[in-house]
Amino acid sequence: MAFRDRLINAFNDRRSANSKFSIRAMATLLNTDHATLSQILRGTRKVPVLHLRSWAKAIGLTTEETSIYIAAEQTPPLSTTRRESLYRQWATEGLALINDPTHWHIIRLTREPGFQADSRWLAAQANSTVDQVNMAFSRLLRLQLLTANAPDHWTETTGLKTFTQSEFQKLALSRIRKNNQGKPKCPTP
Amino acid sequence: MPNPVMQFQILSTQPDQTAAFYSELFGWSISDNNAMGYRQIATGAAEGIQGGIWPAPPGAPTFAQLFMAVDDVDAKAVAAQSLGAKLLIPPTTLPDGDAIAVLLDPQGMSFALWRRPA
Repeated sequence: MAFRDRLINAFNDRRSANSKFSIRAMATLLNTDHATLSQILRGTRKVPVLHLRSWAKAIGLTTEETSIYIAAEQTPPLSTTRRESLYRQWATEGLALINDPTHWHIIRLTREPGFQADSRWLAAQANSTVDQVNMAFSRLLRLQLLTANAPDHWTETTGLKTFTQSEFQKLALSRIRKNNQGKPKCPTP
Repeated sequence: MPNPVMQFQILSTQPDQTAAFYSELFGWSISDNNAMGYRQIATGAAEGIQGGIWPAPPGAPTFAQLFMAVDDVDAKAVAAQSLGAKLLIPPTTLPDGDAIAVLLDPQGMSFALWRRPA
């Protein structure tokens, strides 16, 4: 039940007890003006957050209830939260790729004749930890830059004409951006 | 074939600490003696399922995932997507021969399809 509904209920309760109780009387109770309250009750205007605490007290809500309504009013809408989450995920994934060359080493090593599909071997070759290798492995699969179709055979699927770390990074970052599009816009440099 | 839940996986922001916590609390043994260096959990009980610990992606909280056994990971991944799931990790054969795919269900929970080594 939204705070507006609580106001409507409070008004209706008072009106049931006293048929002469008007919106103007309710506005006086809340220490606001008739027009503002009327618009809020009709749903054409939002409850002013600054007045929420005093209005809640005036209609007899508990402090805990009031805190919940204030928190609800101050929480960003779900659409904003989702957008922020995608944006954060994009940045975090991108930074992980930029900061950890393990991704490139895995891709590069799949082309080597002595390649071993073994996280410890990869960690030793890439001078990384096993966890770094496994996180990079997951990310490369998610970005479809690597496939593993047999226990001992991984294939890099970058399709790069110029097989360099910088070209790989460019491609991987564009995939991360595409994967996280729901879609955060790239800030203008 | 029925599709039982075969395994749980904890994706942890601090895998070593998570391993230490659960092995201390429940007496679980945790071994990474496999090609992926995967921390496999043996609960020591015949009932219930066994598990594992994998590093969580950066920015994600620690969370758990369920692995459902399937005959054909590719086919079930297609079926899941036709029901509204989103493919995260395409069907992949791991070094020890088991195959997995990871998806998000329509409500946003991640889960894995898993086929035991052939």
